[in-house]
Amino acid sequence: MSAPLLSVQNLRVSFASPDGNVRALDGVALELARGGALAVVGETGSGKTTLARALLGLHPAECVAGSIRLDGDELNRLDEPGWQRVRWRRIALAAQNAGTAFDPVYRAGEQIVEPLRLHLGLSETEAWQRARTLAEQTGLTERHLRAYPHQLSGGEKQRLMLAMALSCQPDLLVLDEPTSGQDMRSRAQMIALLRRLRAQSGLALLLISHDLAAAAALTEQTAVLYAGKVVEAGATRDLLTTPRHPYTWGLLNAYPNMTTTRDLSSIRGQMPDPARPPDGCRFHPRCNQAVDDCRRFEPPLERRGGRLVACHLGGVQTLLQADNLHKTFVTNGHAGPDSLIEAVRGVSLAVLAGEVVGVVGETGSGKTTLGRLLAGLLTPDAGAIYFEGQDIQAVNGAEGKNLRRRIQAIPQDPFESVDPLFTVRQIVRQPLDIQRIQGDRDALVRDALAAVGLPAEGGFLQRRPHELSGGQLQRVVIARALVLEPRLLVADEPVSMLDPSEGARLMNLLKRIQNERGMGMLLISHDLALVRKVADRILVMRGGAIIEQGLSSVVISRPQHDYTRALLLAAPSFNWFPDGSQGADESPDINNTGDQ
Amino acid sequence: MVGYLFGLWAALTLNFLLPRLLPGDPLAALLDPDSAGYVYDSAVRESLEAYYGLDAPPVEQYLHYLAGLFTGDLGQSIRLKQPVAAVLGDHLPWTLLLTLTALGLASVIGIWSGAEAAWRRGSPMDKALTAAGVVIGNIPVFFTGMILLIIFGATLNWFPLSGGRTAFARYASAFDAVRDYAEHLFLPALTLTLALLSSKFLLVRGSMIGVLSEDFILVARAKGLPAGRIKHHHALRNALLPFVHHLAAHAGFALTGALFIEALFDYPGMGRLIFESVAARDYPVIQGAFVVVSVFVLSANRLADWLTMRLDPRIREG
Repeated sequence: MSAPLLSVQNLRVSFASPDGNVRALDGVALELARGGALAVVGETGSGKTTLARALLGLHPAECVAGSIRLDGDELNRLDEPGWQRVRWRRIALAAQNAGTAFDPVYRAGEQIVEPLRLHLGLSETEAWQRARTLAEQTGLTERHLRAYPHQLSGGEKQRLMLAMALSCQPDLLVLDEPTSGQDMRSRAQMIALLRRLRAQSGLALLLISHDLAAAAALTEQTAVLYAGKVVEAGATRDLLTTPRHPYTWGLLNAYPNMTTTRDLSSIRGQMPDPARPPDGCRFHPRCNQAVDDCRRFEPPLERRGGRLVACHLGGVQTLLQADNLHKTFVTNGHAGPDSLIEAVRGVSLAVLAGEVVGVVGETGSGKTTLGRLLAGLLTPDAGAIYFEGQDIQAVNGAEGKNLRRRIQAIPQDPFESVDPLFTVRQIVRQPLDIQRIQGDRDALVRDALAAVGLPAEGGFLQRRPHELSGGQLQRVVIARALVLEPRLLVADEPVSMLDPSEGARLMNLLKRIQNERGMGMLLISHDLALVRKVADRILVMRGGAIIEQGLSSVVISRPQHDYTRALLLAAPSFNWFPDGSQGADESPDINNTGDQ
Repeated sequence: MVGYLFGLWAALTLNFLLPRLLPGDPLAALLDPDSAGYVYDSAVRESLEAYYGLDAPPVEQYLHYLAGLFTGDLGQSIRLKQPVAAVLGDHLPWTLLLTLTALGLASVIGIWSGAEAAWRRGSPMDKALTAAGVVIGNIPVFFTGMILLIIFGATLNWFPLSGGRTAFARYASAFDAVRDYAEHLFLPALTLTLALLSSKFLLVRGSMIGVLSEDFILVARAKGLPAGRIKHHHALRNALLPFVHHLAAHAGFALTGALFIEALFDYPGMGRLIFESVAARDYPVIQGAFVVVSVFVLSANRLADWLTMRLDPRIREG
């Protein structure tokens, strides 16, 4: 393997600010092969633009430490005239906001010609000739070169920026958010143009972006930046299909694309204040699976299975794993072959930390039994269930009790799951009493009620189930599940008893709580329309077995199994008007509101 | 352009109306034998009455006034017994010399120092210049003028104390003449320059700092351009756009400043003329001076508009 074109080692950029030293980049390492393409992705504030500028020496020298090598030459020791020889000739930058990247008082062409004359020593005529060629390559004409910046559209300026960046034929082109702020069509054109230019000129690309689709389309390698550190790096394709680091995973989940029908879910919390990064792993306050070590020690960026990941746990953890579960019920009180009902047949599944997995199937498909098995309410005939790595059947005593606490179930019918003589306070407090939780249990009850949007004071606490509406009681039941701060919620048809509007409200609430607390959730429902709005992954169950599973977007847009397609067609829609071919009344068994 | 013509018309009309809106008749004091301002010369009295034609209906008076302006007839000075146009013609060049010299000097120094201070923002030089700018900008002109007069005129005796030129001097050569004029001009012009300088410095510095934080400056640096080119070709060029308008707005201020300074240095310009005319209630001259000042300020603004249009392609189109 030849030496890389660009090699960044332990790059640190810090700025003095009134709040203290802001460490915008803290030990970043990157490598980029000649002619290769690397994407650096991350949220706003992760340090992406700081990195782009550091590569061109645009920060004050005293702010930058570490090594930036281009073709073996150390750039970070250069003085200003030294950098001036590197800039544009060897590393060019297509800056963010092309809209403001041009000097308003000169023609666009003059600004492209400027570095050509300066760096390549071309004459005025030669330089303009070259500018025209560049304009042509980027799909522009003489007219655009003669125009003043304000006379050009955003897309045209973006192209001119690119033409300007390519003018001196650099070895490396740094693209800072080349697609941000553009409409989808010009964005697609820009990506196509960049692909073509790269194929033609063989220049290396460093793409700085929060646009994951652009990264996928343009690069082979991706590094994920969080709060000034690389948290994961590897081949773009692998990284975007099977993210390892919880941040990458959250970033992908938050990313809107055409193949996702799910509502947007953000990564909980905020990017840390760069002047006061948290101790330990910088992502731990937002992480769904943080353990003690994450709060205390900074995880090193380590090679794990062909990829670099900075996570003490090695990446996204599997919260719940079930292997080959079986459950057979006996009807008629005696065990004959015709009275056995195989409710669950060889089901294996996994729920990742912070993930929402939807289990979809019609009545009798075994999904409720599966839910009860996973929640520990039933014991499987065969197979094993692991929660946070522990076999839930093997543990008992105090450990088992603690484990039960971390898995909570929300039943389908709230009226069946509460003692009708209990008050709201007693209902929500009961798990705390059973678990002998220390501390002010009534305060915990009030917190849990507040979290589900119920009044936590006065008369409401003394009400009994028959005095509450279905929606209120279901919220009380959710509060009862939340009061123990579980890591996994098993919700079996949590809104099927409610009218659609209250159901939607409750589902939003549940999703929000799940997101804020970083819980895993297994959502069991017959309602595909509902599940696809919240679930990251969908499992389709039929006759006790899982017949199809995958990312929500994939299952919804490219269902593989006929049964899934049938479920999709039967999902409620407004196509029951005379001109529609299918309607809800043709498939009343899989209906939305469920008037049970 | 239409806007400026309208502005000129409004100023001239105001000039016509103001004396007539004053309580009583503007000429009452002049024509009343009991008043201190009584004009004894009967010929002058008659020409005044004829010029103002106060018996005629207001519209006719107004048209007569405008017609007079167009033919350069601004009336007759009561005090100097000369046509107002001739009196103004004697004094205006001096004021223009003083004002334009100071404006020019203040602009050149202000632009240069403002650009350098912004480029080295936060450096000791920037801090010192900014502090000096704020202090000097707040000293009244007559105070600065007095100090300069005492130091360089009275104590060191380097420059003449008053006047626009040496009285009754005969110049052996053009050089001698220029030298004499320049020596007389130096202290008044310096005083006015100091008065105008700090706002120009602060404006250019502020606008330059704004421009330096623009994305296109970052791109210019990324393009590997040398510092001088970024500073002058890109940053200063853009920072000058607001300066041009400031300069026009400042022309009026410069003129008023010049009036004080002329009085202080006994410089033979408009300032002294207006001072003396006010003291003598020489209304025709005051009115004439008002016309000249209005035209000057309006022209400066028109010029600024034209310049901005030349400098900024975004405005050229609009």
